[in-house]
Amino acid sequence: MSAFEFSHVPLDTQALQASLQDPASGGYASFEGWVRDLNEGRAVKHLEYEAYEALARKEGQRIVEEAITRFGVRGARCVHRIGDLGLGELAVWVGVAAPHRGEAFAACRHIIDEIKHRVPIWKKEHYTDGDSGWVNCERCAAPTVDGHHSGSEQGHHHDHQPAPLTAPVSPHDSPVPDYSRQIVLASVGVDGQKKIRAARVLVIGAGGLGVPVLSYLAGAGVGVLGVMDSDPLEASNLHRQTLYSLQDVGRPKALLAAERLRALNPDVDVRPYVQRADASTLPTLAAGFDVLVDCSDNFRTRFLVNDVTVTLNKTAVIASVYQYEGQIQVIQPGSACLRCVWPTATRDGLVGNCAEAGVLGPVPGVLGAMQALEVMKVLLGTRSPAENAVVLFDLQTLQTRRLKASRSADCPTHCSGNDLAEAKPTDRGILENGPLIDSLDRARALGLAIIDLRDEQEVTQEPLWVLHRHIPLVRLLDDSSVLDQSTGYLLVCTKGLRSSAAVSTLRERGHGNVYSLVGGIAGLKERSTPR
Amino acid sequence: MTAIHVQYYAILREQAGKSAERIDTSAATAAALYDELATRYAFTLGRSQLRVAVNDEFCEWTTLLSEGCQVVFIPPVAGG
Ligand SMILES: [Zn+2]
Repeated sequence: MSAFEFSHVPLDTQALQASLQDPASGGYASFEGWVRDLNEGRAVKHLEYEAYEALARKEGQRIVEEAITRFGVRGARCVHRIGDLGLGELAVWVGVAAPHRGEAFAACRHIIDEIKHRVPIWKKEHYTDGDSGWVNCERCAAPTVDGHHSGSEQGHHHDHQPAPLTAPVSPHDSPVPDYSRQIVLASVGVDGQKKIRAARVLVIGAGGLGVPVLSYLAGAGVGVLGVMDSDPLEASNLHRQTLYSLQDVGRPKALLAAERLRALNPDVDVRPYVQRADASTLPTLAAGFDVLVDCSDNFRTRFLVNDVTVTLNKTAVIASVYQYEGQIQVIQPGSACLRCVWPTATRDGLVGNCAEAGVLGPVPGVLGAMQALEVMKVLLGTRSPAENAVVLFDLQTLQTRRLKASRSADCPTHCSGNDLAEAKPTDRGILENGPLIDSLDRARALGLAIIDLRDEQEVTQEPLWVLHRHIPLVRLLDDSSVLDQSTGYLLVCTKGLRSSAAVSTLRERGHGNVYSLVGGIAGLKERSTPR
Repeated sequence: MTAIHVQYYAILREQAGKSAERIDTSAATAAALYDELATRYAFTLGRSQLRVAVNDEFCEWTTLLSEGCQVVFIPPVAGG
C-alpha cells in the first residue's frame, strides 16, 4: 500500500480506515470529497477525472509523507478516483491516524488542501444542459467537491492536549512542473503528455536555433533531451542565444544549457555531450534517440544529421537561417530528405553562415521555436506541412512559402543502400572507443556468430560469403530476444554504420557480447584488394 | 515573350538587390531563365548549387515556363 494512490473503482472506506488502525493511535480523522450537483451555477450531471498518473502519484506521495513528518502523525493515506463518477460519489478520501485528534485534523486538512493545489488532476464536467468542459482541479474542484469531516476518537486517556504543530509553510515551497496549459489542448491531453514524456530528442547545436528548441522542449516535459555542442560560449553569441549569461563566456555551451534546462524543468533528463557531431560520434549517439533536431550552423553537420536520420530510420527536424530568412524541413522515414532536395553537396563558405553573413537574434529565435513546434507535432502524431517540403520564411516581409519536394530517385543518401552517403574509409571508425572487430577471421577466432543486418535487396546484390544468419536491422532491434545471452555476435552491414548503431543499442539493452564489423563488407573488400 | 513572377532567396536576393520581380522573358526553360538572370545580376552561384521551384514545387532545370508562372530560385543556407 502506498501513501497516495489512484483508483479506477469505487473506494472501500472501511478497508481504507482499517489499513490505518494502529494501537498507538488514539485519534482518526478522515475527509471525503463528493461529487456535487452544482459548479459555478451550472448543474452537473456526472464527471470524469483524469490524471497524468506517474507524475501525480509521485507528488501525492510527497504531500502525504510531508504531512506525516510535519505533524508527527502515525499514519496517513489518500486515494483519488479516476474515471467516470456520478452525483454523490466519493471522489477523494484522506485518512489520518495519530496519537491525538489535533494533529489528526491538522494533517488531514493539510493533505487535502495540498492535493487540490499541487497534484495535476483533470476533471471533465458533464452538465445537465448536455454541455461539458474540462476543468483543472487546482482551481475548480474545491467548490464542487465539498468536504465532509468525520472525526472519531477512540482514545479515552489523551483526548485533551493536542500536540503543538510545527510552523506552517507556504504551499508553494516545492513547486512541481505543471503542464496544464498544454494538456488542456485537445491535441495534447493526458495521452499526448505521456507521449511527450516518453520521447527522447537529441538537439545538435545549442546556438541560435538550439536555444529556443531546447527551452521549449524542456518546458514541455520531453523525457530525455540530449544537447550536443562542442563549442564554448562566446560573447558574440548572446544577442541570439538568450539562455546564457555574459559571465558564462568560455564555458562549454552543452554544459551551460544542461544546467539551465534542469533548473527550468527538473522532470527532464538532460544529457549534455560536449562533442563535435561527426561520422564517428553522431551515429552511435543518435541510435539512442527518437527525434534529431538539427540546429547546427554548417552544411557538413547538417548533411551528416540528414544521412544518419535516413540510415537509422529516425525523424529529424532541420532548419537553417540566412539573415532575415529561414528554411525548415521535417524528415520522416520514407519522406524526402535534405539530399533529395539538395543532391549536390554544398560546401561551407559558399553561402554564408551567421558569423559571415550576420543575423538578427530573433530570426533563429523564430525558426528555433518553429522547430520545437514541429518536434511536438511529431511526438503527438500530427502531420507536418514541412514534411515532403521545404518551408521558407522571409521575416523581412513576413512571407511564407511552402515548396513541395518529393523523394528523389537520384538522392545519394536514399540510393546508397541506406548507408552513410559520404562514408569513406576515414569515417570508418564509428566506434573508435567501442567494440570493433576488423576481420571475419578475428571474429571466428573469438567464436562470434555472424549476423548480416542488411536488407533483402542488398543481400541479393552482394551475398556474404561466410556462414551467418540474416536478420535485417529493424527486425533485430524490434526483437532482440533472438540473441542468445551466452553467445557472442558480430553484426555486419555494408559500411559498418548500421552495425555500430545496433551494437550500441543492444549493449544499452544489456547484450554486452555484441560487436560491429568496422567498415562493413565494403571495408573488407577494400582491405583485401591489392594496391 | 512570357510574363513570369520570379522570387530570389538568400544570397541571390542580395545580388539581385530585390526579393521578387515580374519579368518578360524569351527563356523557355527554368535553366535558360536563370542563365539570363545570372548575366543580368552577376550571380555567383552556379545552377548546380541551387534549386528552382515552379509554382511552389521543386523541379528540374529543364522545366518549361508558362505565362504567369511563379519561379523561385533558392540555395540551401547554413546559418543556425
Ligand atoms: Zn533522400
